[in-house]
Amino acid sequence: MADAGSGPDAESDPDSDTGERRLSGTGVTPRSGVGTVVWHRPDAALDLGDPPEPDTVDPVAERERFHEAVAAAREELEAEAERARATVGDDEADVLDAHVGFLTDPQVESGVEDATDEGLPAEFAVREAFATHIETFEGMEGRMAERADDLRDVRDRLLRHLLGVERTDLGALPEGTVLLAERLTPSDTVRLDPDRVAGLATMTGGRTAHAAIIARSLGLPAVVGVGDDLESVAAGSEVVVDGEAGVVVLNPSAETRAAAEADESAPVRHERVQTTDGKEIEVAANVGNAAEAEAAADRGADGVGLYRTEFLFLDRDSPPDEDEQYEAYVVACEAFSGGSAADGGAGDRVVVRTLDVGGDKDVPYMDLDPVENGFLGERGIRLSLGAHADLFETQLRALLRAAGRVAADPESADLAVMFPLVRSVEELDAALERVESVAADLDDEGVDYARPELGAMVETPAAALTADRLADRVDFLSVGTNDLAQYVMAASRDVDAMDDLRDPLYPAVLRALARTVEGAHAGDAWVGVCGEMAGDPQLTELLVGLGVDELSMGAVTVPDVKARVADLESAAAAETAERALAAETRREVRETLGLPEE
Amino acid sequence: MERVVTVVPEEGLHARPASKFVSTANEYDSEVRVGRAGDGNTVPANSMLAVTGLDVRGGEDVLIIADGEDAEAALDALESLLSSPVEEDADG
Repeated sequence: MADAGSGPDAESDPDSDTGERRLSGTGVTPRSGVGTVVWHRPDAALDLGDPPEPDTVDPVAERERFHEAVAAAREELEAEAERARATVGDDEADVLDAHVGFLTDPQVESGVEDATDEGLPAEFAVREAFATHIETFEGMEGRMAERADDLRDVRDRLLRHLLGVERTDLGALPEGTVLLAERLTPSDTVRLDPDRVAGLATMTGGRTAHAAIIARSLGLPAVVGVGDDLESVAAGSEVVVDGEAGVVVLNPSAETRAAAEADESAPVRHERVQTTDGKEIEVAANVGNAAEAEAAADRGADGVGLYRTEFLFLDRDSPPDEDEQYEAYVVACEAFSGGSAADGGAGDRVVVRTLDVGGDKDVPYMDLDPVENGFLGERGIRLSLGAHADLFETQLRALLRAAGRVAADPESADLAVMFPLVRSVEELDAALERVESVAADLDDEGVDYARPELGAMVETPAAALTADRLADRVDFLSVGTNDLAQYVMAASRDVDAMDDLRDPLYPAVLRALARTVEGAHAGDAWVGVCGEMAGDPQLTELLVGLGVDELSMGAVTVPDVKARVADLESAAAAETAERALAAETRREVRETLGLPEE
Repeated sequence: MERVVTVVPEEGLHARPASKFVSTANEYDSEVRVGRAGDGNTVPANSMLAVTGLDVRGGEDVLIIADGEDAEAALDALESLLSSPVEEDADG
């Protein structure tokens, strides 16, 4: 049931001294936060069960309840529409206006009243009255079937009011909210306002779930995979989310609370950082939109090492056109600076990854199949070379034009482009050919453009094993260690139970990484790491020691990693990396790096 | 009182135009009904479900019937609504 709040259970152990209770999960952000719990229940467990006997129901009172719920829902919808008009735009607001229309529809009203007259409680009457209309719309085609979703949405809103179930508007949570949910989708988390959210925790998911990655890029304290115990946390209670230790603390003591509030990162530094012996390491951020790029620049990132363009394609009915993409890429580059004396003349760089869908990233209008386009299916560059060739061409046009624009602007970062999930030299060559053909088209049309720096992502064992060949063809390689770990270890990111196997600290993954760095340098390419491990300051020494040139991470840890780089000495780091590579087990690797046992 | 009007918005009597149509019809005391011109079937214009359910597309003709003191004004308002294309979004 939706209702939270039960007694302590056997899994968690209450501390008898302080009354604290700790629920463990996987920490995904090395941050702590304290706040008030709001539960996010999108499908709100609005299960009603069986209706009571009709003669126990007061039809007049039920009718009254229904009308009160309609009035409350209407007020809420109108407020949301007003806010949407001010923030996201008219389209969203119009949808909410249409919902008011359905909510106050006389056919719905008479349907509900007929049912309450027959002795059904208001919530059952609402369910019944909507069921017919939902079915009618579902039976129709195309856009009419979509209206069934609107009706369901309106019905659920009414049910939430009737059942007193909290609903959360993720864009407008009260300040100091700790958001709890069974799971959060990527589109849920991108709507979160990091200034209002003190932390989040979910029942399911692992370290590399996309929700976790986005929480990290927003800098939110987050713990995932807490399990069913999380259900026992009551809405409105005060908790601490400790993303470092991976625990949610209930009834936090004054000390725990104070520690969470005092949690601060290393000071922000905007200049490039070098090891003590002068080796410069680029510390960049992973972002999904222009706002995140700006936030990353504020945290001192030396550019963007991974711009996930998928988010331009999500939450809409059709793909963004060339001009919209062009604008988005230019704006992201403008968040960073061109070359300046303080940076030794080196300008920032924004690495844009071409559309990477498939795996667990779905885009409704692209007709992706969970298996055919799953982790071992057609995804990444292969879709761009095949089924989505037209989208790829549009994106490349926008990217080349944007590269031309920012190259001409000394105030702006330069743009680079990389291709996701490359598995073979053939795929990379085909992608590079597309770039050439788009460049030729733009030449013919007399449109301004520039050839950006080009790179390939190394996420598959195939790419790692042939890194030298790939590097011969491009300017850089970028290692996505989350996917690389999943594929090297054959441990799907879909399966929580395999979470421990997807650790990049398994010797097999480290070897793949080392081979990639060697291959990149042999092919005169620079090499970056943009997986989760790049943002863990405890692993900075290992990566620098392996010879990685650029680290790209959720913006929140940029200052910590910069601070760590500035403390390192290259030779010592290389020695550490060598010892880690010589280790036989993950446990030994962790020991070598001075990490606690998992 | 009745009038035949061509639906100009591309999406027809759907989504935004439908909800504007219903809320406009609700502003008048007259009883308003709407249907496809020529097929004899009309539905109450105050029902979003019914109006949407007609699935009228852009370019089709609809028959609007209004009955009451302010019928003429209601027909004028609804006609002007259906005769103007939906404005483009400023933020694209």
